[in-house]
Amino acid sequence: MTESNAQALSGSPSWSSRDAQQSRFALRVTARLSERTQDLGVDVTERLRFAREQALERARAARTAQAPAVVGRTRSGVAMLGWAGSGWWIKLASVLPVVALAGGLLLIQRWQDKTQISVAAEVDAALLADDLPPNAYSDAGFAEFLKASGE
Amino acid sequence: MASDKELNDFLKSVDKRAFKRVVYAVRDEDAALDIVQDTMIRLAEKYADRPAAELPLLFQRILSNATMDWFRRQKVRNAVVKNFSDFESAGSDGEFDILETLEALGGSPATESSADAVSRAQILLAVEEAVAALPGRQREAFLLRYWEELDVAETAAAMGCSEGSVKTHCSRAVQALSTALRTKGISP
Repeated sequence: MTESNAQALSGSPSWSSRDAQQSRFALRVTARLSERTQDLGVDVTERLRFAREQALERARAARTAQAPAVVGRTRSGVAMLGWAGSGWWIKLASVLPVVALAGGLLLIQRWQDKTQISVAAEVDAALLADDLPPNAYSDAGFAEFLKASGE
Repeated sequence: MASDKELNDFLKSVDKRAFKRVVYAVRDEDAALDIVQDTMIRLAEKYADRPAAELPLLFQRILSNATMDWFRRQKVRNAVVKNFSDFESAGSDGEFDILETLEALGGSPATESSADAVSRAQILLAVEEAVAALPGRQREAFLLRYWEELDVAETAAAMGCSEGSVKTHCSRAVQALSTALRTKGISP
């Protein structure tokens, strides 16, 4: 629809000129409203200033929380370097010491078992290689003899 | 990402208008201040990483939602029903003088007498009351479009409605304001 058609149908100025008139009127009204905001009381402007400061503090806190590496401070004032990056690496890093500890304990247990077996084998070999038969140690008379000769 | 200065400048540029808009809606200055503060904090906490250019629309959206939340809380607490007609008689007090108004329209601020200043204040008050008396959606569309200077699409996004609705609301708001001010003999 052309502008002239629209004008003819509506019987009034064209839509664009109506829009322009509407905008001009609206801008005059809002200019008055803006003037009126200049008369806000000190208590209101102070409260708005306080609200802005609060918002800025929160924005800083939000940005700090999102940063990859952050320096935190404990209640006692000790500064710590934290890592706020990928959670995957943090989990892996915390699991590694536990895995290393479990592996170490397993190795120690194996080494102890091996030592005990070798000691027992040495005793057995000594007994079997000796001139005295092993049954002699279970004989009460021979045990008495050993005790007497020891005294 | 908006810097502290950009965020502060933006908040400074909108805080008074935001406060007035909320006052028109909730009719309570303390509640309006709480809502504006809440809006600023929500914007800062959740959208501080957004570019400065996105802040105006985000702010208006959060402000509208915060105002709606306030009404919901009030409805639950007091079962309050808004009645805009209560405010229509506020501007028709006997102190208003149309002759002073017309004189004030022609005068410049530099030569303004105390009587002119009073009548100018009365015009501002009458305009403000006429805006406050608009139905809620019309007022919101009108103020977002012409006071906050959002375009039609942005206003529609902030209000959660279609662009056609925004145009209709704005057009009706202008007609209502024009009629209300004309009956009082005021040309804004």
